[in-house]
Amino acid sequence: MSETSSPSYHHQKPPFYRDATVVKWLFQLGALALVIFALWFLSSQARDNLAARDISTGFDFLSIDPGINLSEGIDTRPATGGRALWVGMVNTIRLATAGILFATILGLFVGLARLSKNLVVNKLGSVFVETLRNIPLLVQILLYGAILANLGDLQFDSGWDNWVIWSNKGLSVPRVFIADGFYQWVVFMIIGAIAARWAYNRRSRLRDETGQDAYPGFASLGVLGAFAVIGWFIHPIFGWVGNIFGGIEDGISKIPEEALQAVLSILAVVLAVNWIRGFLKSRRTPGGSAHLTDDDKFRIFFAGIGAGLAILVVYVVWPGLSSWIINSSSDLFGVLEDKFGNGRTGGPFGVDRPEVVKPGKFEKYGPSGLTMSLGFAAVFFGVVLYTAAFIAEIVRGGILAVPKGQIEAANSLGMKRSAALRTVILPQALRVIMPPLGNQYLNLTKNTSLAIAVGFSDLVQVGQTVGNQTGKNLSVFAIWMLFYLACSLTISVAVNFFNVRLKIVER
Amino acid sequence: MNEPTMIKVESRPEETSSTPREWIRKNLFSNIPNTILTIVFGAFTIYAIRGVLGFVLSGERRWEAVATNMRLLMAQGYPANQFVRVWFTLGCLMALTGLSLAAWKASGRLPATKISIWIMNTGAGLALFAVLAPISAASKLGWVIAAAIFLLIGLGIWFGLRGENKRPTGSMPTVWFSFGFLAILVLSLWTVPYGHYAFVEGELIAETGRTVAMSTKLPFTVMWLILVGSYLFGVRIREYIPSGRTKAVLVGLWFLSPFILNWIVLRDPDFDYAHIASTDIPLALLFIIGGGVALYILSKPSLGEVGRILAIGLLFFAVFNWIGAFFGWYSMLQKVRISFVLLALAALIAPNFASDRKTRLRFVAGWSALIAISHWLITAVNSPSTLELQGPTYLGGFSLTLFVAVLTLLLSFPLGVLLALGRTSTMPIARVLCTGYIESIRGVPLITILFFFSNILPLFLPEGMEIAELAAIVTGYTLFSAAYLAENVRGGLQSVMREQYEASDAIGLTTSQRTGFIVLPQALRVSIPPLVGQAIGVFKETSLVAIIGAYDILRIANSVVPAQTEFLGVKREGLLLVSVIYFIVAFSMSKYSRRLEERVGLGER
Repeated sequence: MSETSSPSYHHQKPPFYRDATVVKWLFQLGALALVIFALWFLSSQARDNLAARDISTGFDFLSIDPGINLSEGIDTRPATGGRALWVGMVNTIRLATAGILFATILGLFVGLARLSKNLVVNKLGSVFVETLRNIPLLVQILLYGAILANLGDLQFDSGWDNWVIWSNKGLSVPRVFIADGFYQWVVFMIIGAIAARWAYNRRSRLRDETGQDAYPGFASLGVLGAFAVIGWFIHPIFGWVGNIFGGIEDGISKIPEEALQAVLSILAVVLAVNWIRGFLKSRRTPGGSAHLTDDDKFRIFFAGIGAGLAILVVYVVWPGLSSWIINSSSDLFGVLEDKFGNGRTGGPFGVDRPEVVKPGKFEKYGPSGLTMSLGFAAVFFGVVLYTAAFIAEIVRGGILAVPKGQIEAANSLGMKRSAALRTVILPQALRVIMPPLGNQYLNLTKNTSLAIAVGFSDLVQVGQTVGNQTGKNLSVFAIWMLFYLACSLTISVAVNFFNVRLKIVER
Repeated sequence: MNEPTMIKVESRPEETSSTPREWIRKNLFSNIPNTILTIVFGAFTIYAIRGVLGFVLSGERRWEAVATNMRLLMAQGYPANQFVRVWFTLGCLMALTGLSLAAWKASGRLPATKISIWIMNTGAGLALFAVLAPISAASKLGWVIAAAIFLLIGLGIWFGLRGENKRPTGSMPTVWFSFGFLAILVLSLWTVPYGHYAFVEGELIAETGRTVAMSTKLPFTVMWLILVGSYLFGVRIREYIPSGRTKAVLVGLWFLSPFILNWIVLRDPDFDYAHIASTDIPLALLFIIGGGVALYILSKPSLGEVGRILAIGLLFFAVFNWIGAFFGWYSMLQKVRISFVLLALAALIAPNFASDRKTRLRFVAGWSALIAISHWLITAVNSPSTLELQGPTYLGGFSLTLFVAVLTLLLSFPLGVLLALGRTSTMPIARVLCTGYIESIRGVPLITILFFFSNILPLFLPEGMEIAELAAIVTGYTLFSAAYLAENVRGGLQSVMREQYEASDAIGLTTSQRTGFIVLPQALRVSIPPLVGQAIGVFKETSLVAIIGAYDILRIANSVVPAQTEFLGVKREGLLLVSVIYFIVAFSMSKYSRRLEERVGLGER
């Protein structure tokens, strides 16, 4: 601390109303007071008005029968308001997930098309982007809805021979489902993956040693494919895998409870001792012995306490824990025994085609192929095409942002165009693409709320109906807000996760 | 290479003009994959065009539903006997456009090369249409002839004006090219019978022989004449009046035009002249004289701190008037309350005009104009309309779409700038409030906000206070788009360099001066392109008001027209037309924003 002596000027303090700090804080407090006053005023008004209309606020409507029918979803006649909103949320999530998936694929292709040297492809991409992003999404959704609604009635001969059916009941495509022999086939595929890995290593070694084209990727894919095809037919030979699981199940169920308790407590002690040893090692100074601060001692102490607590839990607090572990894991292996067991001879996958039983009717709602209702299809096409146009521009911008030198360097190394795209350009472009792409996903999720225009039961539509039925519009609005904020948060966390992984690793 | 090479610095090599054959080879058939792509996607393109044309030209399409309802789609239910007001509004906008084109010296020129290529492209498009469209052979011949005429004109321009380097020379002003194009469109109204049905006296007359063009060809011709005439007039007065003054007046007029045209021309208020003479005019005079004197004194240079303290006191008084009204302590005319707020704001900026007598008098004159216009507008808004309406509002259809979009943009701009300033400020409470507002608004879909304002807002209002549906919509939409606008402006604010702040502090500017004169102009200049993008978004999303029950163009096309007995269930035609209208507006705006982006980018150091 050094005393600095400065020449003292005659310094006049400004009056308090010209003091920047005072003015700033007065202003802020005033603004805060105004906001709080406004909120208080509005909410008191709302309370009075609601009381005058005999509407109670709150969320009790979530457990009361709203008496509404929904057009589609996991439950079309929900018993409670909460269940109805849950159906809406599931529908929204379904729509948003499918939309994000297809919009990304389509947008990627269109974005690449806009960079193509081929004139026809290039212009087609431009027309796609310019048309679709300049027409409001709502207009598009209504237009697609109107076009779909004018398709013919569902007949025996609608569409292509029970593979793809389109009618004013919606669009249907065959559905692939997991069939009987799937799990044994998975065993085959695991072995196939190991073999493919081995083939890949072998071929790349060959390439590195002799310099000739050894196509390790193709070789490993071929091996995997061969295993998949062979496994399709002879997978029942792995029926004995089920017996292994059965053996494990029997073994586990024979373990006495006390033995597991002992093992768990020994495990806790071993873990604690191990951790303490590692910790002491990390604190060891070059001089030899560890220099421990109070804080470090506390940590060691708490590691010991943790082990003691674990033992306490195992023996005293929850003595049933070990039998629960034994029972549930033996159950798990029982299920696995059943899935992998003998006598499952069908193929790994089955195809379920949409089937018309009589004009205007599919066989059943569920397994008769994969059916998109009219509302779902209209919103789905709307958000996919609209968002794809924006994603295409983002992809194009991201690829153009890769320095030209990178592409030229890849070319001069003799890389093929596809390889250069895959290993040089796209990884770098992704860094530019990811943040705005996440924004588009967010927009897509929010845009699914336009489903209300075509009567698809998404969260907003259901909420609007429930709100009108019960008069709880305000509570519904709060739920909307929470749901969409949660979606935004989820998507931005996911995008951030990728962003961090894609970052250039710097020293 | 052994011989030493001279490094030549040369300009970009001129593109070698290739023959059509080479060009096709290079762009379409350079190698085998390319050829396959061309063939596959070419076939797909032809198939798609055929499909679209087949859809549009199919005999099942009932385009007359759109043609007949054109007036409904544009200005839903505006009384037919008053329709001249709509034309007057359009005429005012045309005149302003023409004058602005002249004042801002629209000096772009279109080279003859471009024009001839456009015309030839149109010809090629027509030829493609003739080949692909599912129409009769006779009409095919007609389209082929039209295509040939276009191609001949294009080739004529190309070869007639050909200069030295095998390319046409010469150019024409873009303005006159656009005027010519519009003239052709207007002339087509006189010759082509668009639609065979018409609205007469507000009723649907389904009678062949009467065309929609009949009722619009004369007004549209007048509109064109006003546009061109005002442009010529503007060019003439450019020589006599300094352009700065013209521009200032025009900006003011553009800003006022939505308010005056909507609430005074279109709404046609039924003024109660006795009340105006007894109350409104005296009130306005009181504020003009009293406020004028007060502001003249407050802008005195020697006044010092007292002026500011008085102004802040006035502001407190003006705000307190509203609080008092809410609690019912004392009542006051709404107009007076608003005027007091305006007076307080004017008093706050008065020190900026503390200068010579002339400046101060000009300030007072500005105040008088503000009071006169705002009082007139408030009186007009409060007077009942004379229109005999069938629907809920006098605005509807495309006019409603435009109104909501323009008003939302105008109102959300200041709010968005304030929010952006708050979010980037150093004041913690203000920052938290603004950030919380912006992020929570941006997290939810627009439609939920609109539902909130149309369904839930009435619950929050005090007893007896009502809000018109349109006002609720515009309020909600403004609050929504302000949050997005704030983010765009924030981007601009972050691009202003530190040195600018430090320099303005160094020359002793106050915070408000620094923000207003140094930071915001630079920030806004950078954020112009994203702001135009935002404007396009606002315009497109105006369509959402259809969901909450406003009769905009989309709702009319989607639910009103298909409910008419003549056109039961005819939906796709109207929706296609709406798509085309939105596309034209949004596409031209985005083209403009790309041009702006280039211009702004050019200015960057």
